[in-house]
Amino acid sequence: MKLTQRRITRPLSIAFLTTTVLSGCATFDVNESIGWTNEEAATFTGGNLELARTAGQRAARTEAATALLAEPLTRDSAVQLALVNSPTIQALIARSWETGASAAQTGRIPNPVFSFERLVSDDSQTKDLERFIAFGLLDVLLLPMKKGVAERGMESARVKLTSDVVAEVTAVRQAWTQAVAAKQLVAFAEQVRTSADASAEMGRRLESVGNFSRLERARQQVFYADATMQLATTRHEAVVAREKLIRALGLDDRQLAMLKLPERLPDLPAQPILPGEATQTLGDRRLDVRMAKASLDRAARAQGITNITSFTDIEVGYRETKATGPEESEELSGYEVEISLPLFDWGNMRRDAMSAQTLAAGNEYAATLRNASSSLRETYSAYRTSFDLSSFYRDEVVPLRTLISEENVMQYNGMLIGVFELLADSRTQTSSIMSAIEASEQFWMADAALQAAMMGRPMDASVGTMAAAGGGEEAGH
Amino acid sequence: MSSRRDFMKYASMTGGAVAAGSVSRNLMAALPEAVIQTEVSTMPPLFPDSGPDYNPVVTPNGWTLPFRMRNNVKEFHLIAEPVVREMTSGFNANLWGYNGQSPGPTIEVVEGDRVRIYVTNNLPEHTSVHWHGQRLPNGMDGVTGLNQPAIPVGKTFVYEFVAKRPGTFMYHPHGDEMVQMAMGMMGSWVTHPKGKNNLISDVDRDFCVIMNAYDIVPGAATPKIMTMLDFNLWSWNSRIFPGIDSFNVRQGDKVRMRFGNLTMTNHPIHLHGHEFVVSGTDGGPVQTSARQWEVTTDVAVGQMRQFEFVADELGDWAFHCHKSHHTMNAMGHDVPTMIGVDHSGMAQQIGSVIPDYMVMGERGMADMTEMEMPIPDNTANMMTGDGPFGSVEMGGMFSMLKVRADQPRGDYTDPGWYEHPPGTVAWEYTGELDQPERFKSEVSSSNMAPAPPTESVEIDVRKPRRRLG
Repeated sequence: MKLTQRRITRPLSIAFLTTTVLSGCATFDVNESIGWTNEEAATFTGGNLELARTAGQRAARTEAATALLAEPLTRDSAVQLALVNSPTIQALIARSWETGASAAQTGRIPNPVFSFERLVSDDSQTKDLERFIAFGLLDVLLLPMKKGVAERGMESARVKLTSDVVAEVTAVRQAWTQAVAAKQLVAFAEQVRTSADASAEMGRRLESVGNFSRLERARQQVFYADATMQLATTRHEAVVAREKLIRALGLDDRQLAMLKLPERLPDLPAQPILPGEATQTLGDRRLDVRMAKASLDRAARAQGITNITSFTDIEVGYRETKATGPEESEELSGYEVEISLPLFDWGNMRRDAMSAQTLAAGNEYAATLRNASSSLRETYSAYRTSFDLSSFYRDEVVPLRTLISEENVMQYNGMLIGVFELLADSRTQTSSIMSAIEASEQFWMADAALQAAMMGRPMDASVGTMAAAGGGEEAGH
Repeated sequence: MSSRRDFMKYASMTGGAVAAGSVSRNLMAALPEAVIQTEVSTMPPLFPDSGPDYNPVVTPNGWTLPFRMRNNVKEFHLIAEPVVREMTSGFNANLWGYNGQSPGPTIEVVEGDRVRIYVTNNLPEHTSVHWHGQRLPNGMDGVTGLNQPAIPVGKTFVYEFVAKRPGTFMYHPHGDEMVQMAMGMMGSWVTHPKGKNNLISDVDRDFCVIMNAYDIVPGAATPKIMTMLDFNLWSWNSRIFPGIDSFNVRQGDKVRMRFGNLTMTNHPIHLHGHEFVVSGTDGGPVQTSARQWEVTTDVAVGQMRQFEFVADELGDWAFHCHKSHHTMNAMGHDVPTMIGVDHSGMAQQIGSVIPDYMVMGERGMADMTEMEMPIPDNTANMMTGDGPFGSVEMGGMFSMLKVRADQPRGDYTDPGWYEHPPGTVAWEYTGELDQPERFKSEVSSSNMAPAPPTESVEIDVRKPRRRLG
């Protein structure tokens, strides 16, 4: 009896202890993960990422959003607004929590199986009471390895959350840039229309008093038709851009009524980020590299487990049977070991699959390392090119166009050119200012993309074709 | 005449005469002094201090080249060089000329003079000089390639011939002629008669003008040399009004005007208040019997005309080319006519996109003279030049003949504005203005335009439009 009892307590206490230790380790705390993201991506979140779970928290966030909406929305306040307001970002956090928690779960020992059996004979003379507690031996033995896998999974979830937040914030910045630029463009498209309208009206009046032929009048009217169509398109584009921003910010109907955008994009920074600054930051700490590394580690560790578990599985259990009959009662207790026999499945497919997975993850990691610097260089080129183009517009093209316009007014004053040439020139000048705004927009788009790329989350940033600055010829000929 | 010698000194001083720095000292010993003119105001006549005597001409906004007599030869020194010519106050042109100015100095000689002209080429390309209208040896006619090799850059050539016939002549390059004339290379030449000539009268005042045209983009300074016909600056002696000095004479003076035309179109020269006769053409003096009284004479391209009159009417008389576009300075030729165009509301609309916009030309171009608005730098105003009663609204080939009773003989200075005797200036009528009868009779005539609708008709016309609307 004594022997048996000793036998019982030993495995039970081992299982109990291990489980306790394990459950303490493999835990995924979402707030910790958010804090980690806030720290890692401080330039993106400003430390303001949080998950609202209670009504109070939600109310506080709504209040913060309202405060941010009270002023014209700057590029930075747009990000803050998205962080406190966007359901998309809340969903990202929740998804990350889910993934992290699931990963943590894999690092825990499966619960022991306890079965209780009560068998009674037909005549109710004999009763069999059987208690059986069992757990997978390999599960316990491999626990440290499983814990490693789980940790990599949680790491992966944390990094992914950061990466997703970076992407979301970048999308907000880009949407904000596009919305402000589109709004600016509408104002100038209206100017072009006003100028073209003046040409058309002037042409009409000249024709009405016999100073213009129908042909000459029609030529002036054509500009008006073009300008009107351009204005309609520009207005629609402004709506599209604004709605895209509204979605990125997650504004509801009440909030979007409050949304005020600034009149213009910010000035270019005095100095662009230098190539060294852009490419040397982070390195191994890049998000894409870390995600690939976590995947690789996880695959490698999982492969180690699979190498063992694919051959067989060992289940260990303690069984206690109590048979009560009319004649006698009998108590039996003892352990049970259950091994699956690899007769049909030697597990080689599972091992192959894991090897392949590890191999793939390894190559993906290598690819990520190699692509990281390449895509960063490309993004930097887009950034730098758009900076140079935009500053060229600011320093060269727009001043030249302004000079041409001023000189044209003087030419007009001297009756050296007519009002139609003057108006045509004003349209050309306005068009080049619109191109300058587009160049500035491209810069801020590329800037947002570069910030993300430097963190290791490549985003789209392409340099579009710039409109020509316009020749030196007088307009209208 | 000792006074003449004094005058020479005076003339060279006021002319800012300086030796040409680019001609070497050795050459200087052999060559007559190359006098450079830096002033654009009219220089007083240059009376000869050697050689045969004559009554010199005056070149408005120009001067006469001094000479020296050497072994009975009259020697001049022309330096062909780039110059900056003030065409009117505030507008300077980069031209090519002679001895510091464009046009070059007037050369005055006497019939029968042996003349030797040293021509130094300080231009960036070769040149030559053609003595337009002269009888001379073929090898002295100055056509590059035909009569002589071109004068290379930095070289000096000598022309020598006898001034055979009296009259008005010109000189200009005949090497890369189109470019060099478009750049302003030209000058006047006057051969005075030797002694008495029945067809050439003695005059009290003798003016010498060469007409030239330039195409200079407003705000620029160098002529567009490829322009064929569409010039925008029409000038007398490379000056445009109000930069052209007035022709100042004493009442009763016999006046001779000599006009040469080196532009690419003809110019009908018109004088107010007097009649004149054309006394000389390219071919020489006009027979007295062939002269007729005129107020306008056309000077065709490449021609010279001299005309004479007695300035007997006091006042400030307009004197100009009668092609009215030639009495404007730079203007747009592709500007639509804005006269009568209703601008209501337009100024604000255009002003919203072009802040400095002002309505121009709604009533005509006289607006130009009323508004003082900024125009491109180094641009001559189109209609400008103020008279005692306001803007003269003229430019280009315009000046005035100022006839004064008290203008001293030989004095060419501007006497100022004419003081009209009381009651001799057009005045404003402020009395009752009757409607002219003739309008009514015109209306009743059957072949005239229909009468303007009376009030009742107007209402009839509007009614159906309202219904339609």
